[in-house]
Amino acid sequence: MKWKDQFRFVRQNMKKNKSRVYMTVLATAMGCAFLIVLSSVGFGLHKSIVKDITGERIVNEIEIQGKEQKEDELSQITDKDINYFESIKKVRSVVRRQNLQQQGLFQTGSFQVNTETVVTHIPSEVKAGFELSKGRLPGKKDEILVGYDFAANLAPKDVKETEVYDKNGLVKDEYRYNGKLIGQPVQLLVKQNVDGKEVTKEIKLTIVGIAKKPAKKWMTDRKAFISEEILSEIEDFTGTSRGMINEPSNPNPVELDPRSYDEVKVYSKSLEDVEGISNELKDNHYSTYSVVDELNQINIIFTIVKIGLIFIGTIAILIASIGIYNTMTMAVTERAPDIGIMKAIGANPKTIKKIFLLESSYIGFLGALIGTAAAYGISFAVNAGLPLVVQKAFKEQPPENLMFSYIPVSLPLICMIICYGVTILSGARPARRATQVHVLKAMRREL
Amino acid sequence: MITVSRLSHDFHVGKKGKETIIPVLRQVSFRVEKGEIVTIVGRSGSGKSTLLNLISGFIKQQAGEIKIDGIHVTDLTEAKFADFRINHIGFIFQSFQLIPSMTAFENIELPLTLKGVSETERRTRTLNILARVGLLDYKDHYPSELSGGQQQRVSIARALIVNPPIILADEPTGSLDSETEQDLLQFIKELNKELGITFLIITHDEKVADIGNRTIELQDGQIVQKEVFI
Repeated sequence: MKWKDQFRFVRQNMKKNKSRVYMTVLATAMGCAFLIVLSSVGFGLHKSIVKDITGERIVNEIEIQGKEQKEDELSQITDKDINYFESIKKVRSVVRRQNLQQQGLFQTGSFQVNTETVVTHIPSEVKAGFELSKGRLPGKKDEILVGYDFAANLAPKDVKETEVYDKNGLVKDEYRYNGKLIGQPVQLLVKQNVDGKEVTKEIKLTIVGIAKKPAKKWMTDRKAFISEEILSEIEDFTGTSRGMINEPSNPNPVELDPRSYDEVKVYSKSLEDVEGISNELKDNHYSTYSVVDELNQINIIFTIVKIGLIFIGTIAILIASIGIYNTMTMAVTERAPDIGIMKAIGANPKTIKKIFLLESSYIGFLGALIGTAAAYGISFAVNAGLPLVVQKAFKEQPPENLMFSYIPVSLPLICMIICYGVTILSGARPARRATQVHVLKAMRREL
Repeated sequence: MITVSRLSHDFHVGKKGKETIIPVLRQVSFRVEKGEIVTIVGRSGSGKSTLLNLISGFIKQQAGEIKIDGIHVTDLTEAKFADFRINHIGFIFQSFQLIPSMTAFENIELPLTLKGVSETERRTRTLNILARVGLLDYKDHYPSELSGGQQQRVSIARALIVNPPIILADEPTGSLDSETEQDLLQFIKELNKELGITFLIITHDEKVADIGNRTIELQDGQIVQKEVFI
């Protein structure tokens, strides 16, 4: 018997008891919708967290914390290590930074800002994706780059701090620096304690470029990037590496290797390369950290959560399968005379079994289809309604990009497979019973 | 064509352990040749229906052998007998045994559908046979919308659709009035003559028994008379 005819036969049979089939399909649909919606919470939260992590950080970035030494100590990264990193296949760039070991005070006109001061290898930064919003890259030793929010943090020198900043710690609009920055001369003031007295050195610099706005709204970048030569000038003044201040309370400060780096980040060519590079670095005793490490842990936890939710959801489908079993058993009982006639005229028991299995799986398929459509609707409603509920209940905005429920294509597929398996199982016994229908008893003929 | 050799069958009645054995057929042997119409007659309980059920494969024999078209059908499994049946045997039942939810067309088409014949071929063959039995205008009627005679014609059409060499009929006129009965018997004779189909008919109706080339009489599960009519 051809599939098409079997299917036609099944549909014809199902029409004989529409209400019973409808209720069974409905029960299956509810089970499937429950499975999908329940599991979608796991998928949604997972996606939100991954999005949050990957959104905050550059995904192909591997942070090198140092090289592992004996007794859990880490040594700083030096040029030798940098050369090795650059030699690794699929490494796009190695960004290395040295931080000035004191807050640099930058002044321009009547405005000033205390900020993090950094020396970096500009070509590597550019290769890693560093971009300017205005100006150009520095070419001379006294030229500097500043962060996008540098200007917004410039505050008037002659006004009290309590007056200048608002409750969020931002410079009030009326005190903001409104002048241009590019080409603006600035003075960098660095200090050192000499014989118990604070001595200050003023270095004249010019801003030539402003970095691109940070990707996230809540991020601020007010750093200043100075050249290596300026750092050497500062070191000559302070007599310490990276301009460290001699604190009277700490007469023996840690001496930093002048050729070591405080912050080293390796950038791979693509996200897929991160794990390989990260593993190679770990094998060579470098302490590393990347988004992939964090994602791996999160993925493990959420995979367990998702499996758990799918398992709980499957129970709902199993309950629905009792309905399918009942419907199919009733169908076999009711159709016994028809089965008997079919067997009498030469229907193979296998064909009869296939017809009943097809019917139960068709009920399961319809249920899964309707359940999936309903689940998408519920998921949409939950995502749309949840922020309103959170806002009403807690008087707070829910986290940005929070997706409470997410249904990836794989989820309805998993549901379909589970549903199909369960319906086949629940239809198997009635189908076997159908093949065992006795021709003569079914046709009510005398033996 | 059909060879029945030393066929015996008992019914076990009652609870297990305390069951009573009722012999239904005892050492029954006969042959039906190709193109013959053979009628089996006998009183109720003589074992004629059991004999037909055994030949049809609806029940499994306990002793003896049945050979149809040279094949030992008694050795076939249920599935293989089903395949054999659909290709070799057509059935006509007393109560027609049509599927009530199917139209006359669908009932007749059913054996071809089960065989996996293409839709186009099925349609052509079903319409031809409907025309042959004079029910073309009733093709979309459900069994409940047909008279007894018409239902029996649908039943015959369903038996003929696969061109079987043998048709087994169990009291084919049992549910028909005498006029329809005559029409049907005439039709059986025509089919036998034109298509050479072998008929094995079970009946207790003398008129039906008269159309056979031979009549086998059963009594208490044994053949008591083999009569030849030419």
